[in-house]
Amino acid sequence: MISLLRAEFLKLRSTRTSLGLGIAVLLVSLVPTVLLIAFIPTHLLNGGELGAGATLVTYIVLVFGILGMTNEYRHGTITYTYLATPRRARVMVAKLIVYGSTGALAMLAALLVAQLVGVIGLPMRGVSYHVPGGGALADYARQIGVAGLVTCFGVALGAFLRAQVVTVAGVLIWALLVEPLIVAFKPGVGTWLPFNVFGQVTSSTLATDAGNVAAHSGLARPEAFLVSVAYIAVVSVAAVVVSMSRDVT
Amino acid sequence: MAVIEAEHLSKRFGKKVLAVDDVTFSIRAGAVTGFLGPNGAGKTTTLRMILDLVKPSAGSVRILGQRYRDIPRPATRVGALLDSSGFHPGRSGRNALRVVAAGAGLPDTRVEEALTMVELEGAARRAVKGYSTGMKQRLALACALLGDPEVLLLDEPANGLDPEGIRWLRTFLRARAAEGRTILISSHVLAEVEQTVDDVLIISKGKLLAQGAIGELTRTAQPVVRARSPQAEKLEALLTARGAAVNRLDTALAIRGPASAEVGEVAQANGVVLHELFTEVPSLEDLFLEIAGTRREL
Ligand SMILES: Nc1ncnc2c1ncn2[C@@H]1O[C@H](COP(=O)(O)OP(=O)(O)OP(=O)(O)O)[C@@H](O)[C@H]1O
Ligand SMILES: [Mg+2]
Repeated sequence: MISLLRAEFLKLRSTRTSLGLGIAVLLVSLVPTVLLIAFIPTHLLNGGELGAGATLVTYIVLVFGILGMTNEYRHGTITYTYLATPRRARVMVAKLIVYGSTGALAMLAALLVAQLVGVIGLPMRGVSYHVPGGGALADYARQIGVAGLVTCFGVALGAFLRAQVVTVAGVLIWALLVEPLIVAFKPGVGTWLPFNVFGQVTSSTLATDAGNVAAHSGLARPEAFLVSVAYIAVVSVAAVVVSMSRDVT
Repeated sequence: MAVIEAEHLSKRFGKKVLAVDDVTFSIRAGAVTGFLGPNGAGKTTTLRMILDLVKPSAGSVRILGQRYRDIPRPATRVGALLDSSGFHPGRSGRNALRVVAAGAGLPDTRVEEALTMVELEGAARRAVKGYSTGMKQRLALACALLGDPEVLLLDEPANGLDPEGIRWLRTFLRARAAEGRTILISSHVLAEVEQTVDDVLIISKGKLLAQGAIGELTRTAQPVVRARSPQAEKLEALLTARGAAVNRLDTALAIRGPASAEVGEVAQANGVVLHELFTEVPSLEDLFLEIAGTRREL
């Protein structure tokens, strides 16, 4: 397992995908935060704007997870992966560990960058910067955890569906369009849909938004967390089971 | 001792394609075995079944006495070069090898050794997308050699190599074989492996047509008498009447059955002028084409 994890990290480091992830994460954590701090009226600046890029980072790591798995099929490297590790379930576990932790790290980096923008930017507008306290820290920790989970979900979906473009496009359309529509028109069903569930793990900021309370009242945080893990487990196991009988040609 | 044993191995893709049809064979340890057959014969599919990449529809195959997936650290015992496996285009050759080495639990020193073996050190830092077909083939061969395996499965390793590269490969494989390694090498051109192999397996349309030592196959080969005559049609009729199998193209005849002396006598007795008469022992290539059923006469 150790050598498998080493191989996966090496795969990540040796292509531009990781560079792309870094740049994308840097952009979405810098741009919205800088814009908000620069243009929001001073009396509205309260530190909340420092988390502005977090949702975008979640979508980036989702795509990152999907690419991590589908690239193997796209370039045919899966043959070498399975030759070295014919037990396909092990390959899946290694991918989940490596990509999940990288996704979580990406969120951590994004949040740190945002804080850095706060440290530098807020005083420039005459507002003092406060080191985030207990509640905010807990929020951030949950966001980091969810980023890891979402990346794993991307890996699992990629392993199950295999076709890269179809998977990325399909999952984004589902997450950004289909799910919000279902949530709006059928909140009872929407509560249980995967990306909404992931969102509910970090729902503290949303809960302050009165309009969203109704839609998000479905799941408590621990419940949402368990359902998220269940989603990943189900798709991962399905992907492994299907892959066992699949031919690599 | 048999290194690879396939029993009633079959593979069906979908409902229509029976890629491998009830194939039983065994590969000797320490021998170089040529796995020959025309395009679409089922060679790649069989090799992939040996490596657990393609799941057999029926039958079973064992390598080193067990299923591939039960071999501990398989990459250190079996090396494989497969035609459709690939490399990430953005990765350098060296990093592509490092990834494979890491997965197999091998140190990076093996990567450098493998690069030297395939003479690719000079290009190791470049991204694979800039490699020529032959360079990619060498890189794939380096992957197969990383674990210093005792068994090598090579699917058309000469693909994309220039004549010099093919000669290099031949020498290289002979050296491996001399070390006592077992090599299974597929090809659709017999000439490519003729000088390298000890045994052959011949497959066509999914069915195994022949297996055995290469010497035995040539011994069973029937010689062909070739004749050229302005009265070729007449000679053809005479010989056919005597039970010979004759193929004619214009003035040239390929005759199976009678020896050249008999053909000459028949011609003389019937006043047929001969411009040319000689016996040809079919090359292994002819034999292979004949067995595989793709021979086009003359
Ligand atoms: N993944 C697949 N799906 C459907 N059919 C397949 C698949 N892979 C191979 N086949 C079919 O199986 C048959 C055998 O193919 P295979 O690749 O094993 O032949 P081959 O002997 O390696 O040929 P070549 O010399 O061209 O490489 C062919 O008819 C091919 O079309
Ligand atoms: Mg083939």
